[in-house]
Amino acid sequence: MTLSHWRRALAWLLAWALVAAVGAGWLVHARLLALEDAFVTDARIVHRLLSQRAVQHDAVMAMLPLLQPPAEGQGSSIAMPLPRLPAAYPQIAQVLRRLPGSAWPADLPAALGSALDAAEARSRHSGHAELAQADLPRGRAWLALAGPADQAADHALLLDLHATIPWDEWPMDAQTSPVRVRLQYKGQAFGVQAGRRLAHGWHYDFHKLLASQSQPFDVVLERDVGWSELPWGPMLAWAAASAAALAALRTLLRQRVAARRAEELLRLGQVARLNQLGELAAGMAHELNQPLTALLASTQAAQRLLDEEEPDLDTARHAMGQAVAQARRASAVVGRLRRVVERPDLSGQAQALALPAAVHDALHLLEPELRRRGIAVQVDAPADLPAVRAEPVALQQIIHNLVMNALQAMEQSEAGQRRLRLALGQQGSRVLLSVRDTGPGVAPEARARLFTPFYTTRPGGLGLGLSLSESLAQAMGGELSLAPPAAADGAGAEFHLLLPLAHQP
Amino acid sequence: MTSSLSPLIHLVDDDAAVRDSLALLIGTVGLRVQAWADPQDFLAQFERSDVGAIVLDVRMPGTSGLAVLDMLAAQGVDQPVIMLTGHGTVEMCRRAFKAGAAEFLEKPVDDELLIEALQAAVRQHVRSRERHQADRQARERYAQLSGREREVLGLIVEGLTNKEIGRALALSPRTVETHRANLFAKLEADSLAQLIRRYAALVEDTAP
Repeated sequence: MTLSHWRRALAWLLAWALVAAVGAGWLVHARLLALEDAFVTDARIVHRLLSQRAVQHDAVMAMLPLLQPPAEGQGSSIAMPLPRLPAAYPQIAQVLRRLPGSAWPADLPAALGSALDAAEARSRHSGHAELAQADLPRGRAWLALAGPADQAADHALLLDLHATIPWDEWPMDAQTSPVRVRLQYKGQAFGVQAGRRLAHGWHYDFHKLLASQSQPFDVVLERDVGWSELPWGPMLAWAAASAAALAALRTLLRQRVAARRAEELLRLGQVARLNQLGELAAGMAHELNQPLTALLASTQAAQRLLDEEEPDLDTARHAMGQAVAQARRASAVVGRLRRVVERPDLSGQAQALALPAAVHDALHLLEPELRRRGIAVQVDAPADLPAVRAEPVALQQIIHNLVMNALQAMEQSEAGQRRLRLALGQQGSRVLLSVRDTGPGVAPEARARLFTPFYTTRPGGLGLGLSLSESLAQAMGGELSLAPPAAADGAGAEFHLLLPLAHQP
Repeated sequence: MTSSLSPLIHLVDDDAAVRDSLALLIGTVGLRVQAWADPQDFLAQFERSDVGAIVLDVRMPGTSGLAVLDMLAAQGVDQPVIMLTGHGTVEMCRRAFKAGAAEFLEKPVDDELLIEALQAAVRQHVRSRERHQADRQARERYAQLSGREREVLGLIVEGLTNKEIGRALALSPRTVETHRANLFAKLEADSLAQLIRRYAALVEDTAP
C-alpha cells in the first residue's frame, strides 16, 4: 500500500469518526433531555403531593378548636390528647390542647414547652399554625396554633413525617428509583427516598418550599445520571450503521473510478492501436520513398545522358543498374511489410463465445458515442442462439469497426433518422450478425473496392478498418461481407459477419 | 576565389542509393556534386567559400535536416539550401522557409524540378557573392581616400559643382579639380554616374 492509499483510508476513517460522533452526541443529548424531563415531572408531582399533605395538616389544625368545645370538665389546665385523630390521620402522632391560663403537660421537655409557647405567640400574631420544633432526622415536627380568642384553647400537634408520604400516589418506585428525595429545614434533613449517588456523570436537582406556611420545609430532589444510563445500544448501532454506509459509499466510488479507468484504458488502447497504424504507414512511406527517389533520379539521369549528342553510355548503363537495384529494394520493402502486417492464424486461439455478450460489450464501450450522436440502437438476438467459435479480441475489434463505420455513416443523417440495428441469428452451421445503419448507404462504384486496403470514402480515413476486419474474420474461419442493397427501404448499408458455430452439429 | 570553377552542390542524405543517383542526375547538367552521408561530417568539413547550393534530406538519423538548416543559418552560411522530404507537412514546410530554406521539394523528386531549383539557387548565390565582392572592393578603395578627398566626394555626391565645392571648403577651384581627379583615379570610376552609383551609399554610411 502506498502513502496515498493510507492517507485516503485515514480520511475515510476520520469521516466515519465524525459521523459516528455527531450521531452519538445527538443520541446522548436526546437521552439526557428525556431523563431531565422525566425528573422534573416527577419532582413537580412529589412537590404537589407533599404540599397537599402539608395543607391537610394545616386544615386539621384549623379544625381542632371547633371539634372540642373549650368548657370541658376537669383538669382543664392540662393539655389533653385527642385519641381519635391519630387513628384517622396516621401521620398525626399526638395532639395536645391547652386551655387558656393552663400550662402544657408537665412531662413535656422544657425546651419543647418553651418552643410551643414561642410558636403560639407567633401563631396568635399570624393567625395560622406555626412550626414549633422540628427534628427532621427522626421525622418529627411539632406545630402549634393559638386559640382564635383569648378564652379558646391552644393546640399542638406532633407530625410523624414517615407517615406523611403518600406512597400509593408516589410517582416513582421508592426501592429502585435513582432519584434522591428529602425535606430540608435549617440544616436538618428528612430522607424520603434514598435514591442513588454517583461521583461521575450528569446531575439534576430541584428545590421548592412546601406550599404551607406552617411547614416551611424545602422539598429537594436530586438525580445523578451515570455513564451506564447513556444509550449505548443505539450509539453502537449508529456507529455500525454509519460505518456500513460509508463502506458502501466507498465501494461504490471505487467501483465507479475503476469502471471509468477501465473505459479510459480501452479508449487509450484504441488510440494506441491507431497510432501504431499511423506509425506503420509513415514508416512504410519512408521505406518506399527512398528507393523510389533513387529509382526516379537514376532513370532520369540515364535519360538525360542518352539524350546527349555523344551519349556517355557507361554512365547511363551504371545509372540503369542502379535503377534496377532500387526497384528490387522497393519490392523487398513491400515483401517485408507484408510479412510484418500478416496476421497469425487466429483459428488456434478461437474459443466458444456468446455473440450477444460480445455485441453488448462493444456497444457498451461505444455508449458515450451513441448517446452523443443521438443514435437509437436496436439489438435482436434470439435467446437460444448457440455459441460461436471466435478469438475474443479480434471479434471485439470487428464489431467495433462495423459499429463505428455505421456511426460515421449516419453523421449526415437527420437526428431523428439515426437508427442502428444489430440482428443475430443462426444460418445453418454458422451464426450471422448483421449491422445495419440508416446512413446514405454504399455507392455502387464503391461496393467493389470497399474491402481493399487504404480505400476510403471518408476524408482523413485510413481505409484500413474494413479490410482489417475482413482479414480478421477470415482468420477465424468466418466471413465479412456487404449485404446487397435493400430494395425496400433503400437507405443505409448492411454488413454481414458470419462466424462458425462453436459446436458443429 | 573559386568562382572561376563550376558551382559545387553539397548533397546530404543518409541513403547511399539516393545520394548516388541524385549525384548522377545533378552531374548531367554540369554541376559538381559533393555527397555527404553524415550531417555532422558535412557541418564540420564543407567549404563555406564555395559557390553553389546545399541539398538537405529532412529525415536523417541523428541530426535532422531541419536541425542542420538551423545550424547553417546560425553560422551565417550563405549557400542557398534546398530541402528534400519524403512526406512534407505544412508545419515542416513553414519551419523550413522560416529558417531560410530556398526551396522545399518532395521525394521522389522530378529531375526538371530539382535541376531548375538547383540552377536558380546557384544563380542566386553567384549574384549575391558578386554583390558582396563589389561591395568589398568599393569599401577598400574608399578607405584609400584622404580626409579632404572624402569631403570633396561627399559634396560631389550631393550634386555640387567644382566652384560651389571650392566655396564650401574654402579651396580654389583648381585644388578642387586636383582632388576630384585623384579620387576618380583611386576609386577607379570612369564616369560621374558610376561614381555616384557605387559610392553614394558608402558616403552616407560613413558621414559624421
